[in-house]
Amino acid sequence: MKEAIKNITYDALVIGAGIAGGEAALNLANNGYKVLLVDKELSVGGKMIMLSKVFPTLDCAACITTPKVSEISRHPNITIFTGSEVSNIRKISENEFTAKVTKHPRYVHVEDCTACQMCENACPVNVRDQYQFGLIGRKAAFIPFSICSPKAAAIDIDNCTLCGACEKACPTNCIDFTMEEEILNLHIKTVVVATGFKLFDAENMPRYGYGVYKNVITALQMERELAPTRPYNTILRPGDGKVPDKIAYVLCVGSRDASVGNPICSQICCMYSIKQAQLLMGALPMADVTIYYINIRSFGKGFEEFYQQAKGMGVNFVKGKIGKISEKEDGNLILRYEDINEGKLQEAEHDMVILSTGVLPNTGIEKFFENQTLSLDPFHFVGQTDALLSPAKTSIDGVFVAGTAIGPMDIPDTILSAGAASSEAISYLVEHP
Amino acid sequence: MAKINPAFGKELKKYGAVNFNACYNCGNCTAVCSLSTEDVSFPREMVRLSALGLEDEITSSLKPWECYYCGECSTHCPQEANPGELMMSLRRWLTAKYDWTGLSGLMYKSLPATIVAFILTFAAVLVFAFMNNFNLDHIMHVGHLFEAIAIGTIMVVIFIPNIARMWYFTVLRGEDKVSVKKYFSSLGEFFVTMFVQKRALDCDDNRFRWFEHFILVLGYLSLLFTTVFLDWFSTPYLAVNIFGYLVSAIVFVVTIDFVGSRIKKKKALNKHSQPSDWFFVIWLFLMGFTAFFVRLFIDLDIIESNKWLYIIHFTVLVQWALIIVPFGKWTHFLYRSFAMYFAKLKEK
Repeated sequence: MKEAIKNITYDALVIGAGIAGGEAALNLANNGYKVLLVDKELSVGGKMIMLSKVFPTLDCAACITTPKVSEISRHPNITIFTGSEVSNIRKISENEFTAKVTKHPRYVHVEDCTACQMCENACPVNVRDQYQFGLIGRKAAFIPFSICSPKAAAIDIDNCTLCGACEKACPTNCIDFTMEEEILNLHIKTVVVATGFKLFDAENMPRYGYGVYKNVITALQMERELAPTRPYNTILRPGDGKVPDKIAYVLCVGSRDASVGNPICSQICCMYSIKQAQLLMGALPMADVTIYYINIRSFGKGFEEFYQQAKGMGVNFVKGKIGKISEKEDGNLILRYEDINEGKLQEAEHDMVILSTGVLPNTGIEKFFENQTLSLDPFHFVGQTDALLSPAKTSIDGVFVAGTAIGPMDIPDTILSAGAASSEAISYLVEHP
Repeated sequence: MAKINPAFGKELKKYGAVNFNACYNCGNCTAVCSLSTEDVSFPREMVRLSALGLEDEITSSLKPWECYYCGECSTHCPQEANPGELMMSLRRWLTAKYDWTGLSGLMYKSLPATIVAFILTFAAVLVFAFMNNFNLDHIMHVGHLFEAIAIGTIMVVIFIPNIARMWYFTVLRGEDKVSVKKYFSSLGEFFVTMFVQKRALDCDDNRFRWFEHFILVLGYLSLLFTTVFLDWFSTPYLAVNIFGYLVSAIVFVVTIDFVGSRIKKKKALNKHSQPSDWFFVIWLFLMGFTAFFVRLFIDLDIIESNKWLYIIHFTVLVQWALIIVPFGKWTHFLYRSFAMYFAKLKEK
């Protein structure tokens, strides 16, 4: 493989183009700094762009993310690399870092692609769609999702059979199987780490049967079922396509649980579950929705009112962590729990169960850095040197952190955090011209 | 009006409880417990009562005995509050509570006291042997008599009053009157628990452990019967002799596995062994092991030149009968059986 090595220079490198990275990049760019925004995914927008609505305002997530995303994409001071990864960040002087950016080949020339989907139609390969969290399938030549940015096709080379059907179908000849990995040497003055979080893998809790029982899904899957760009165009349980009418939410799946290695609260699950419950009551007016919780943590502005609103709408709240789930022959599920208010063991039948999975750190971020140590907190999120007074500062001078890379937080807090990180980065750039 | 007693937790720690105050009341333990039912929900309730120190409620509860410690609750506890071990320590605490002499409590809480008791009994055996000029025939005769007398005495002096106390705490003091008829109709539960521990079979993944325990109980009771009533060490009957070998071998082979799993600490129930647990399994092992070899030495006709072996066996026997049986872990055999019987009485 021949390596095309190019040298490029920017003021700031923002790692992660989710809502935190995007916001930080935008703030830096609006102040006149040249920003390179890198994301390992094929689209910017992170997790927020996949969501249905946001709490506690019930704004459509896509409708408020996409304007921001297009602003980022069109900004003259921002360069976006999707499908790319950062490594080997070295601090070489007081205000200078070098880094390596690896651009994985998309096998599609983005600038020529019109997102006509003819390659998708031509591709004979079907695989599970990771952008719909496995609810439906996609092709190996595919457009990641309908509101992705850049809106262009990509080839999933791991699943591609190299049949060439897409190449023949493409009207603009933008598919190019000769594309190779590109490695760029980067010079920058500051770095913002906005690498986000990952969700707890529910398969690590076998007693809830995720991956085994068909009608047990995660909240992110339900998020897709509720989103405007949803795959089924209605709410269905995946087992048999029945419209559910007795839905259960299991909170604290993989958070506040030392037995699976994550003892801390994820801060968002109570609220996103309450939000989804309200949306479900709207989508399926006859459905019963029950939320099984340990404690409802509705601590943000307008959150408690949002919780009370859900109660008022008829969402059933039961205090008690679900111990085990078992599946009946008809696909319904039996949930075993102790009703804490009664002090009695109970079993309840539901026809669909949603696991509200917790927030985990994306691991390995400290390995991006070569000659300096990026300290992590005890839970492997990026450490803050002064969490109270300079929440965006990390152990490396000139490297700042934004959003859920710091720890679990909701969207309003993420935007605030991104604002803090970009301000700190701008101050740093001003102080180190 | 219940009075909260936070000091109770400290007391319970001496009986082996660990970290139960970390409980945040999610009820996961009760929900994963395969023995818990709508009418009898545990262990969270017991964790709660312990955290609040509501001794009367704990004393009158039979729930600690309804748990057979599969350890699922501790494995899955999100707070690592170890409810399974709390139930275990409550059983120890209740054993001490039922015991009118107060010696159970002393032994559970103080390892030095237990060791002193073991040393004293050993010394007594040595003195006795010395006074009898190490006349083995006589010592063995006394040893045989001792077993029968000890069983009878402990039953009358210790166990009957203790079980009466347990009955008073858990049944009599309760609000519901139990009819005489029910005392008879529920007796089946008592014998089934005593000899089969059927309930333990409902524990998660417990078939092997239940089987081991079942074999051990049968082996132990048969060994007791063979030595006391069939006089195994001087029996002329070949069948009795072979049976004695068999049951003593069962006792020490099975206990090797019990001791081994306590050393390996793989399962939740083996992670927090208390001295009382170690004494119980090790002395059970020693009893089977020494009995086996005493009889073997008798058959090989080398016991006269190896008197020490019988002295050891006799010491183990005395320590077993005077310390572990009345004041140690042995009592769970009785209390569990009676607890299930009493629970049946209280059922509506």
